[in-house]
Amino acid sequence: MRTTPSEGIARARSWWPGPRFVSLLVGGGAAILVLYPIAYLIQASLSVGDPQARPPEAYGLDNFTGLGRYAHILGNTLQVAAVATVLAVVVGFVMGWILSRTNVPGRAALEQLMAMPYYVTPLMGALAWAIIASPNSGFVNQLWRGLGGEGHLIDINTWWGIAWVMALFEGSVAFVMIGAVMKSMDPSMEEASQVLGAGRTRTMLRITLPLVLPGVLGAAVYVFAEMLGSFSAALVLGLPARFYVVTTAMYQMVSQYPPRFPTAAAMGVSLFVVMFGMVWIYRRIISAGSYVTITGKAFRPRVMDVGSLRWPFLAICVAYLAVAVILPVLTILYASFQHLTAAAPGLRNLTLTNYATALSLDAVRSALWNSLLLGFATASIGIPLMGFLSWLIYRSRLPGAGVIEYLLMFPQAVPRLVFAFGMMWAWLVFPLPIYGTLWLLLIAYLTVFLPLGLRTISGVILQIDRSLEECAQMCGATWGYRLRTVTIPLLKPGLVAAWLLLFIASVRELGASILLMGPKSKVITPAIVESWFSTSTELAAAMALLQTLAVAFALAIMFAVARRAVQAGGE
Amino acid sequence: MTERAHTAVTRRRFLKTGALAVVATPLVARATRADAATKVLDFSTNADIAKAEAEGEVVYYGHDSEPGIAVLLDAFKKDFPKIKTSYVRLQTGALYAKVTAERSAGRFGVDVLQLSDISPAIDFQKKGGWEQYQSPEYAAYKPEYLSTPPGYFGVPGVGFAGIAYNKTKLKPEGAPKTWKDINNPAYRDGVSVKLATSGMQHSQWYILRKMYGNDFWQEFAKQRPKGFDARAQLFDRLAKGDDRMCALAEYAGYTLYQEKGAEIEFVAPPEGMPAIAIYIGVVNKAPHPEAAKLFVDWALSKRGQAIYQNQKILLYGSVRNDAGPMPTGKRLADFKLLFPTDWSDYVASHPLFVKEWNSIMGL
Repeated sequence: MRTTPSEGIARARSWWPGPRFVSLLVGGGAAILVLYPIAYLIQASLSVGDPQARPPEAYGLDNFTGLGRYAHILGNTLQVAAVATVLAVVVGFVMGWILSRTNVPGRAALEQLMAMPYYVTPLMGALAWAIIASPNSGFVNQLWRGLGGEGHLIDINTWWGIAWVMALFEGSVAFVMIGAVMKSMDPSMEEASQVLGAGRTRTMLRITLPLVLPGVLGAAVYVFAEMLGSFSAALVLGLPARFYVVTTAMYQMVSQYPPRFPTAAAMGVSLFVVMFGMVWIYRRIISAGSYVTITGKAFRPRVMDVGSLRWPFLAICVAYLAVAVILPVLTILYASFQHLTAAAPGLRNLTLTNYATALSLDAVRSALWNSLLLGFATASIGIPLMGFLSWLIYRSRLPGAGVIEYLLMFPQAVPRLVFAFGMMWAWLVFPLPIYGTLWLLLIAYLTVFLPLGLRTISGVILQIDRSLEECAQMCGATWGYRLRTVTIPLLKPGLVAAWLLLFIASVRELGASILLMGPKSKVITPAIVESWFSTSTELAAAMALLQTLAVAFALAIMFAVARRAVQAGGE
Repeated sequence: MTERAHTAVTRRRFLKTGALAVVATPLVARATRADAATKVLDFSTNADIAKAEAEGEVVYYGHDSEPGIAVLLDAFKKDFPKIKTSYVRLQTGALYAKVTAERSAGRFGVDVLQLSDISPAIDFQKKGGWEQYQSPEYAAYKPEYLSTPPGYFGVPGVGFAGIAYNKTKLKPEGAPKTWKDINNPAYRDGVSVKLATSGMQHSQWYILRKMYGNDFWQEFAKQRPKGFDARAQLFDRLAKGDDRMCALAEYAGYTLYQEKGAEIEFVAPPEGMPAIAIYIGVVNKAPHPEAAKLFVDWALSKRGQAIYQNQKILLYGSVRNDAGPMPTGKRLADFKLLFPTDWSDYVASHPLFVKEWNSIMGL
């Protein structure tokens, strides 16, 4: 492979032991975080004796050879995940383009609101859409029959319904990931395209889309993996139709007595193949082209004047927010004030009991605080760690960077509920007494959200021209100084987006938390799910709203503090 | 729906057959004579109360709903304000998996364990997981409601299930009246039950299979029933008309939803209603052993049983000899309850149940 002079200099300098040592240390640490529980998971998947015995009594491949019985479930999973991913990425790209590159009215406000679907957990969304569009009791269908219609107009209890709800809530993740990349894009290429006579649509498809491909692919890989591991929407909407995906099937396996961990672990491990395929495709595509748009030449992101198209674009944004946020939140709010959710409730059906119960529960009082604390810690520790890992993989030329990426994507390949078993077994035997504490949940969150952080930040890293760092190096800047004064400032939009994503993802995390919580380290989302299971939709609705309000309040405080800090810094 | 009872509780037969050949490793029973027990409030305990209060905490692992556990622990805390409570809540299968995993790794963080299925309770006894503690409150229970040998776990309550239907979807004349009626094709695609995670579902499957033969559930499979994890989901759907009939309607769930004003009706089939017990005990190597003993004594006492039986979020029928009626005015004796008659056969049937039930559920 031929190298440029600057690459030669950089390679020569990379032998400096400082960054190399730190890289190995951080990369190795992160790999251990992932591989340690994965080893226990693989061990469980090969267990053919007593399913509860730890360590296994005997090893074999029976759990894998027996997976043929569940082929239809794997098919269901891939079908839902693929459709939901396409929908979510289309939503993310279109919204990202409208809000980053056009002069749509109320752009700043809409951009803030676009994060809202992510605050609204998929569980809350699924509960809301079940109330809205169940074939019998759904409000829409009741209205339809009230108007003289027969049967039902829409049925949310189908694979399309599950994909729709999942896409609505992961669409905002795709938006944040793709939007961060679009914001960091030098608009001169789009302008050049338009100067040469290309229309807006052609420019978007031929210039914008290829340039943001790493971000789009990163979002697609991440969202697809999230969809594979999605649990609550499939549980709420799939079970009434006897429609199972891998996560809901596994949940049954690990919840019944005796728990069938080996089969569940084998199912989870089998998803590695799918995820490895996705990561391989992603790497092949990004290594085949150049996506640099941030070079040494100064630029200021500018928006296009789209003329009268501003209003249809505004309508698209409002419509998305209506179905993803406004309608579900209003539905849940409505349900939370009722004994039994009805389309036309009498006065006797209205109550404050659900809120009184929710606020009296330890699960809400201490768990909410724990969740916010963990969210803050996960995001604040995770961003430097994941930012550095992204840089390590895509910039450092460290041998084995590709292997490290595959390793770090591992948690994405396993539904978190199953991964949590691996973590539980792994950290139970760890000599430090962290099992059952918030420390264990912090480690778990940092592990399972590695792919989210990596995908978000790497999309932006790939857009930064290496020559900027090399130039600083040529000027004598040390590795640390280059990182602080060149790389990190350029990464800032991506880092802020990733911080937000990690914070919210941690606060709403379910799969890993449900098994790793201790009696004094409870978090909120599992409690909401449990309330839906064992108490009522209405109590779960009240708890979900309290969670949403707490997250919104915490974020408002953080934004205010951050703004003040920036102002104080004189920026 | 007021069938006079011959509560067919026949655990004794099982105990006599020694089917619990489980014979736990002979642990040294720290049995203490009931007359040496301390009287506290209005119950007896062999726990050292001063030590329990010095321990200052009890860690409870249970399967009930969050509000249900909260009600239980708050009541205990009210009686013993110096003892803080904390808990972990999971479904029995996952809860038991967590406990056994913790113990196999040498982590002993739980004081009191409550399970809703006899199989893991017996397995835990085999593994030496229960502390053998002779609660003075056991004197108020028949032997069939205690472990064999006594001291490992007791039964703080019993749950049972009949049939329920939505009154707006089915007229009384078209409603099910016997267990055989759940296979009526008129209800097809409108029937709900629980998933294989449920101990109550196992009990119903086992009892009706014995009663009507092995083909009964294969016939039921033609109804394309929908399976759910918890009774709240079953009644939520039934109340809203998403299902017309619930073939595993727990009485406790019915009363909660009836109170909410749901248009549902409960049917107690004349053949009797499948029932299950819940099991509670002190865990071996508990971090707060005296507080754990005190909690178990309290839970099995009249005070604790008043919570288990009278709080509608729990509504477990008490099997104490001196138990009063439930808030509905009914006593357990007012219902014809059906328990498995051969417990070893019942426990052994579980793998077959899971396989058959998963297949019926389309899993």
